[in-house]
Amino acid sequence: MATRHRFLVAGRERIVVVDDSGGRLTAAIDDGEPLVLDVASAGIPGVISILIEGQPHSAYVARRGAGYEVVVDGRRFQVGPATAGRQRGAVGGKDHPGEVTAPLAGVVIEVRVAVGDVVPAGQPLVVIEAMKMQNEILCPLGGTIAAIHYEAGQRAEQGALLVEYTPAEGLAL
Amino acid sequence: MFTRILIANRGEIALRVQRTCRELGIETVAVYSEPDRNALHVRAADAAVCIGPGPATESYLLIDKIIEVALATGAQAIHPGYGFLSENARFADACVAAGIVFIGPSGSAMRALGDKVSARKLMETAGVPVVPGANDIDANDIETARREATRIGFPLLVKAAAGGGGRGIRVVDRLEDLEGAMRASGAEAATSFGDATIFLERYVTNARHVEVQMMADAFGEVRAYGERECSVQRRHQKLVEEAPSVAVTPEIRKAMCDAAIAAAKSCGYRNAGTVEFLLASTGEFYFLEVNARLQVEHPVTELVYGVDLVKQQLQVAAGEPLPPYPYPGPMEPRGWAIECRINGEDPYQNFMPSLGLVQHMQPPLGPGTRFDTMLFDGLDVPIFYDSLLGKLIVWAETRDLALRRMRRALRDLVIAGIATNIPFHMALFENDDFKAGRIHTGWLESSFTMPEPPEDDPREITALIAAALAAGMTAAAPAANGRPASGGSNAWARQNRSRSMSFRGGGGGWQRGTAS
Repeated sequence: MATRHRFLVAGRERIVVVDDSGGRLTAAIDDGEPLVLDVASAGIPGVISILIEGQPHSAYVARRGAGYEVVVDGRRFQVGPATAGRQRGAVGGKDHPGEVTAPLAGVVIEVRVAVGDVVPAGQPLVVIEAMKMQNEILCPLGGTIAAIHYEAGQRAEQGALLVEYTPAEGLAL
Repeated sequence: MFTRILIANRGEIALRVQRTCRELGIETVAVYSEPDRNALHVRAADAAVCIGPGPATESYLLIDKIIEVALATGAQAIHPGYGFLSENARFADACVAAGIVFIGPSGSAMRALGDKVSARKLMETAGVPVVPGANDIDANDIETARREATRIGFPLLVKAAAGGGGRGIRVVDRLEDLEGAMRASGAEAATSFGDATIFLERYVTNARHVEVQMMADAFGEVRAYGERECSVQRRHQKLVEEAPSVAVTPEIRKAMCDAAIAAAKSCGYRNAGTVEFLLASTGEFYFLEVNARLQVEHPVTELVYGVDLVKQQLQVAAGEPLPPYPYPGPMEPRGWAIECRINGEDPYQNFMPSLGLVQHMQPPLGPGTRFDTMLFDGLDVPIFYDSLLGKLIVWAETRDLALRRMRRALRDLVIAGIATNIPFHMALFENDDFKAGRIHTGWLESSFTMPEPPEDDPREITALIAAALAAGMTAAAPAANGRPASGGSNAWARQNRSRSMSFRGGGGGWQRGTAS
């Protein structure tokens, strides 16, 4: 039986077809030549050992939102489903226009705008401190601040909705 | 020797001190903040006391509270680690007043070294080379400043005597710019520090940061354990340290060690300390400052000199003399050691802090490889402290072999769940300037760019296949009602089941959060 997976990794859509018919396991990427696999693993999350055409590879795999985080030889990949929508707060995820979420967990130490403020793109909205470093969270688009959900001193988790704004009219979204 | 000490710190350094204590048969008392309840230093201690909530000002910086815990738990001494209270003279004094040994220098030595201008004068008197400069100039006394500036030469720095954190510092390239810089610097100093006194210092361009480890006992014996090269810095934060330095000849080493010993003797220093120098490309070096504590990067010295610096700290603090010294001059290093600071920072997102749940950590092992770390599977990295997760340290016979070993160890180290700067280190260790040791303190920020991940990275193929297999495995897991979910019949899943593999389906994995 062949299973077709559509993934989004490093900004590109990739297709992996895993096929176990004919008594052997293969994977073909983007309709390329099927590669013969041999797999050993103790489960997910965990390390999968894969012999790809007899060559050993190891990958640590854990679920991350609707996709997976995979670490291979020091590089970390976020492998997301290509069909699903944006994962709220997922690493590297972009916010919907009109929303600004926390890219990291930390304590909100400063709110630099008020409801009703008209802000340009790139305007710092709040400052989140984590690990003794202050990180300015910027407004990705110009617009009018509609709601602020945190005040100074509150802890925000990664992906938490910080600020809502109405994007300026005429912006191509 | 002590039988029980308190460690007023957390993270990898608390573990580092505990390990030596365990070997010496000394019990340790851990203090911890609420979010550190699950930390390894709490687990590894003989006694553990919670001292407050997450922010350091409400826990790890509470002098009275920590001394109270030391007295209540019967600790005879306190090891401060680095950071937090390690260079706080008031804390050192308070320990002594409570009848507890502070494992570090005296409060008075810290005060003498802590003030930039008084330290500079102390070193000049002791014959330690300082950057050519002039002290105690009134910001309005342009006449004197011109005369001194001409003597010192350009470029030079105008610094506020009471400054700190880079405030009140101006670079002056030409004599005609001096007056403006003095006014600006003096005004800033007067506003920020209420003191318009400035000093002038030659600006040593393209200098290296090279430091000497010293250790002093109560009998006036001061020993220097050679140098560490710490020029790879980002925003004044060291990222890679080596011992020895490619730029230090045996002659420079001897002169530097002698200067470090003189610096320690000038203020009656005891215990471990580091004398930092600027090393110019000409081979001349100048005193920067003394770090009155054990440093983050101490392991590279331990590896090339075969010493346990924490053990020596404990010995001299307990009033024992330094162990016998078989050499007439400074000891020569054996082999080469390099340390990479593994930080929870994402090099692909401008080193933004990354924290949260560590889902998996696989330490690098094998010859010449040491990993001092607070990490373990399931640790929720707290947000309150710095981003240092661990220190990867290698030793090999030569620098070239140490570079190769570090590349291997970086590849073996797996940290999943949070982003780390491992990709930065991997790129750095492929950089030609770094490999040749052609670096200075400004090099990383001026000349190194973090390369984007390669477009056709073979690791991406592995990642894609692994993700597809994981999708199959989790789909193959038994559903809640006991029947296999769809897709559970495929051959490789059967093959795995026949090997008694267990699958954890659904949202399996670590659950966030500890009880506290």
